[in-house]
Amino acid sequence: MSQETEFIPYIVEPREDTGLYNAKLGIWLFLASEIMLFGSLFSAYILLRVGSFTWPVQSDIQNVPIGAINSVVLLSSSIFFIRAYVALKADDIVKYKKFMYLVIGFAFLFLILKGFEYYQHFSHGEFPKTSVFLALYFLMTGLHALHIIGGILVNSYYAGPGLYLREKNKQWFINRVEVAGLYWHFVDLVWIFLFSTLYLL
Amino acid sequence: MEHNSNTSEFKRDLLIYFGIIALTGMIVGISHLKLKTLGIFLIVPIACAEAGVLAYYFMHLMTKKRTVHLLLLLTLITFITLLFWPAWDVAYSPRTPSEFTTF
Repeated sequence: MSQETEFIPYIVEPREDTGLYNAKLGIWLFLASEIMLFGSLFSAYILLRVGSFTWPVQSDIQNVPIGAINSVVLLSSSIFFIRAYVALKADDIVKYKKFMYLVIGFAFLFLILKGFEYYQHFSHGEFPKTSVFLALYFLMTGLHALHIIGGILVNSYYAGPGLYLREKNKQWFINRVEVAGLYWHFVDLVWIFLFSTLYLL
Repeated sequence: MEHNSNTSEFKRDLLIYFGIIALTGMIVGISHLKLKTLGIFLIVPIACAEAGVLAYYFMHLMTKKRTVHLLLLLTLITFITLLFWPAWDVAYSPRTPSEFTTF
């Protein structure tokens, strides 16, 4: 077996057949699987809601202002990520790190606000076992929060200890950050649907 | 994510950012009107538009290759098929507790 068939090469330039470099194709395949994961939960939500006799007025249970603030927080972190990526491409590492820290900071702010919401629910005796809606709410937002934590870990690595990778191969590092950015935007996109579905409908 | 550092692209991104925030404000406002079913038909398309704009510009779907478009289309078709697969089961399921006794 030759070297070419044993390994998937870490290419920098787009391939002729896919028009993408392998890492980007990989992240899009991963995001497609993520769509199916969250999609299955949204499907469960729709079917359970349509099939149930009663359903609570969600906006009465939920803290809509905090949910809306969280939308702005995540969206802001998305735009900071774009600025970080632009700075990285321009070789401005100080600016890159500054924006990446902002991304991470806003992600933590999101989790703090979500934690406060959970605390409010628990203090009102609202737990996943209380109702079907709350079970879905905690499951879907909890899974989303896990994705945020995953994003924080990856972004922290690329903003700090992972920066040594840039010295080894600049273009590889730029591609890695781009791929992490696509994931981060996807997490933001999922929140848009979660907020409108679980807070407003 | 293939962003250039030029100012016009940054301005466009900012415009999209504030546009999505404005749409979020709009759906919050609509939810306060308590329109029930009509509210669902207003909020869901606006949320889809928000997500679409985010994917189109921030994730650069506009410049992505056919591979990504095909991949997402296939995922979407599979998802929608699976979503509506049990639709008739829900349509013929009892709507009130009393309907359970008719079977």
